[in-house]
Amino acid sequence: MHPLLASRARLGAYLLGWVPIALLLTGIARSQGWSWAEAGILALPLCLLAAFLFLSAWFLCRALPLGRRVETLGSHGAAWGLAAVLMGGIWAGLAWLLARALAWIPGLGGLPRRVDIALPVLTGLGILLYLASVALSYLMLAQDRAVEAERRGAELQLLAQESELKALRAQLNPHFLFNSLNSLSALTAVDPARAREMCVLLSDFLRRSLGLGERRLVALREELDLARAYLAIEQIRFGARLKLDWRIDPAAEPALLPTLLLQPLVENAIKHGIAALPEGGTLVVAAETMEGHVTLRVENPADLEAPTPQGLGLGLRQVRQRLLGRFGNRARFEAGVQNGIHRVTLVFPLETEP
Amino acid sequence: MRALIIDDEDLARAVVREHLAAHPEVEVVGECANGFEALKAVAQHQPDLIFLDIQMPKLDGFEVLELLEAEGKRPAVVFVTAYDQHALRAFEAHAVDYLLKPFSKERFDAALAKAHALQAAKPTVPPPPATELAAAARQGKPLERIVVKDGPKVTVIHLDRLDWVQAQDDYVLLRTEGRNLLKQQTLASLETQLDPSRFIRIHRSYILNLDRLVRVEQDSKEHRDAILRDGTRLPVSRAGYQRLRELWEGA
Repeated sequence: MHPLLASRARLGAYLLGWVPIALLLTGIARSQGWSWAEAGILALPLCLLAAFLFLSAWFLCRALPLGRRVETLGSHGAAWGLAAVLMGGIWAGLAWLLARALAWIPGLGGLPRRVDIALPVLTGLGILLYLASVALSYLMLAQDRAVEAERRGAELQLLAQESELKALRAQLNPHFLFNSLNSLSALTAVDPARAREMCVLLSDFLRRSLGLGERRLVALREELDLARAYLAIEQIRFGARLKLDWRIDPAAEPALLPTLLLQPLVENAIKHGIAALPEGGTLVVAAETMEGHVTLRVENPADLEAPTPQGLGLGLRQVRQRLLGRFGNRARFEAGVQNGIHRVTLVFPLETEP
Repeated sequence: MRALIIDDEDLARAVVREHLAAHPEVEVVGECANGFEALKAVAQHQPDLIFLDIQMPKLDGFEVLELLEAEGKRPAVVFVTAYDQHALRAFEAHAVDYLLKPFSKERFDAALAKAHALQAAKPTVPPPPATELAAAARQGKPLERIVVKDGPKVTVIHLDRLDWVQAQDDYVLLRTEGRNLLKQQTLASLETQLDPSRFIRIHRSYILNLDRLVRVEQDSKEHRDAILRDGTRLPVSRAGYQRLRELWEGA
């Protein structure tokens, strides 16, 4: 189906584009001494005929796609030229028929003779108009291709995001898991009640992290619950080395954000801030709301002897990408060390489930 | 037999202690929560066997072992770790035992029996150096830091703070943050552990951190100098210049 025939709005715009051509045709005829009646009654139906006749150019263009190679221009050009001459001829022929069909109307008796004289001009004009139609068709095809490419690009991006999420879900830190199981193994002998508590915490964490990966967006509350389960386990592992400081504004809890955004920040804070320091330190998780935005912050003591990292690690880079991917320039991501504290700050619009 | 338990997690040390309780012939002479404590405790207690965690703050298990080696004190080692098992498979070739957390009583007893046998046999073949084990565990990834015993002090040099290295017989001189530190290692063995895209052997006796290089000057027909950011001049051999050019042309 021709794209111009597929939509009423498009067809209307296209036909409107023929109005100036009809006026031009009338003008030319008038300048050759035609009467208003003769010029008008021929130009209007002729243009209408041409409008539909020359739509055929689109099918030709679709069959002869423009490649990158110049060699195709020769054969394509021959086809365009042949089609244009054919269509120009048919159009002039139609004008000839039309003139004879209209000659019975009083006052238009001279029309066939006038048209006979104008036939070469009409043929030439038909050729030109057909070639213009060819150009227009290629433009439409190119635009369609661009739209299609964009749509497929968006689809691919969506797929990539989904597979990335799947990978995140699968990326359950084995080091964490085995160390936790080892703690559990120790507790079974020295403190069976805590061992059971740890079993429950570990199951809770695993269940939550497996469940979260199914969704794209999640309320901050659930991300915080996951972090709490995770940190409760790390608390058992690290004992007094890990101090936790939660500063959560309840108004921030329903805010929606991409899934598993907080977890990598908390894991990073443990890995580089607590596990890397013999004396450990305080891990801060803070969520505030201000002017329709949520500020989510994770802080840990920095290992000052370690070199300042060049750029962001993979985990933080993914967090930033996913945050900005969701909220664009309405969100902000900051990470850095200041006064011995490593701080990651996410600011994003407070949007909740409708 | 005297044993020392080195792990930064209380509960992880508790498991080892608990398993050792079934072996009265083994006396636990101490427990350490980090590498520095471990160095002190080994000097103090002279253990025959250490249970050594790999991932610890400040000094990792390999670095602890390396520093003990440098002092000529190397007890038998059982690594106890949650490290990736593929990384440690290479250890089997080195006849070094390791326990993957969490481990069973049977596995623990087997590791202990092996340590006993090793102690009784007094093997003539020296155990593999810690740097070699660390390299195997890194699975081809380049070194990130170097530990040096500087008198009584231990210095950890992160490699982006290392300017250049000079060979001095069996030692290497490491230039970092305006200081010279000596470490017993050959330049060739250090070279194999460094990231070849960051550290270039510019001369028989020198390895240079490429990040410090400003330009190469030709003094005479056969003699070139590398000019560093702080103005230092280091000699560049013909082969070294060739390596630099390959790197530039490849980039």
